[in-house]
Amino acid sequence: MSEAEAHWMARARDGDALAFRRLVEAHARPLYGLCARITRDSALAEDAVQEALFNAWRHLSSFDGRAVFKTWLHRIAVNAALEQLRRRGRREVAIDLPDEDEEFLDAVAEELAGPDRQALGSEIHRQVETQLDRMSMIERTAFVMRHQEGNSLEEISDTLSLSTNACKQAIFRAVRKLRSALEPLR
Amino acid sequence: MQPVSDNDLILFHFRDGLDAVRMAEIEAALSASDRLRARQDRLRRLFEGVDAEVPEPSANFEQRLWARLDQRMAKLSPAPRSKPGIAARLRDFLHSGIPFRLAWVGSLAALMIAVGVGYFAGRSSVPEPIAMVPSSAPTMASRMLDSYVAGHLRATEGLLLTAVNDEGGGLLKDNRELASGLVESNRLYAMAAARAGNTRLADFLRQLEPVLIEVANQPGGSSVEDTQGLRNFLRDTDLLFQVRATESRIDAESKRSL
Repeated sequence: MSEAEAHWMARARDGDALAFRRLVEAHARPLYGLCARITRDSALAEDAVQEALFNAWRHLSSFDGRAVFKTWLHRIAVNAALEQLRRRGRREVAIDLPDEDEEFLDAVAEELAGPDRQALGSEIHRQVETQLDRMSMIERTAFVMRHQEGNSLEEISDTLSLSTNACKQAIFRAVRKLRSALEPLR
Repeated sequence: MQPVSDNDLILFHFRDGLDAVRMAEIEAALSASDRLRARQDRLRRLFEGVDAEVPEPSANFEQRLWARLDQRMAKLSPAPRSKPGIAARLRDFLHSGIPFRLAWVGSLAALMIAVGVGYFAGRSSVPEPIAMVPSSAPTMASRMLDSYVAGHLRATEGLLLTAVNDEGGGLLKDNRELASGLVESNRLYAMAAARAGNTRLADFLRQLEPVLIEVANQPGGSSVEDTQGLRNFLRDTDLLFQVRATESRIDAESKRSL
């Protein structure tokens, strides 16, 4: 923790709301990005950030400094995003893929030349968005935490209360679902 | 060696969930096989597609966020044991639902009042043989000024700490607006302190001004080199220590005068 962060943390723990704002305001947008990736909905993401920061304020005294503050905050935000999804009754869209697709990376076409690949970029991105929507919330959360947040499997399993193996499987399923995004390259 | 599955490639990509032996085996297999490298490249391309767009909130996200959050935090906070002091009320004002820029305008208006009070304190400290000035007036004025200056020094301390720790230059860029506000308030407090006859405080605040101006004028794309001089200056001088010492002294004096 930097000296500035420690300074604001100490004041915030004494109940100084302005200090808390100074402590977390730089994190608000990254937290929104994280929550939006998990919820796939901007209103839910905003609510999740709101809840996450409010929970962080309430439980600031429980932050023991063992984890990086940003990591602590992001874990709260992941849970807030999942809670928003649960509250809104988002159903799991677990679409299982057939076993024969296990080695899906081999099935897609060979590398295309530069310009052709560029032209397909936006189509791939659109497909990625569709596939992210098709994932269950655990698959998407595990994938976002591992791929975009850089959390370790251990951290993900702690946050999601899953075994490390279950986290691995969730990530594998998420990546397999994303394979359809490469369909334009077939 | 076991064949390398897609799942192995995924874990290898993240450098997680595989033991060192398996990692080395995959590394060797990638060096030896064009086909395996092509599979790995497809995986990388897939992930690039996911990273293509960073979700951005809609306009005024921060304002909406803090307006609601401030209200909820205020409701949650335990009731103050005694009537809040001026500094506390100033802080409450600064972190109310008012957008930050407006809050600064508001606080500057409050500072103008403080200057007036300082002026009054300076005037009333001159002995008046005829009219008796109520004895509580200078004390109250002085306490009011002290409270504002203490808050100002806390904000300045935070800004300077940010400057000292800002290795990449990015944090300072985000604090230029705050620094500009502090330059303005610093001038007003220096004037008020001089008026009140507190030359020690006035001199110290004047000494702070060039540093605040320096932070306020850091160019948007400041490189690490650009900000290094400022960081070195702050590390090599005891300015930050002086800010803390002055803040503590004012706090202690305020408590004694209560």
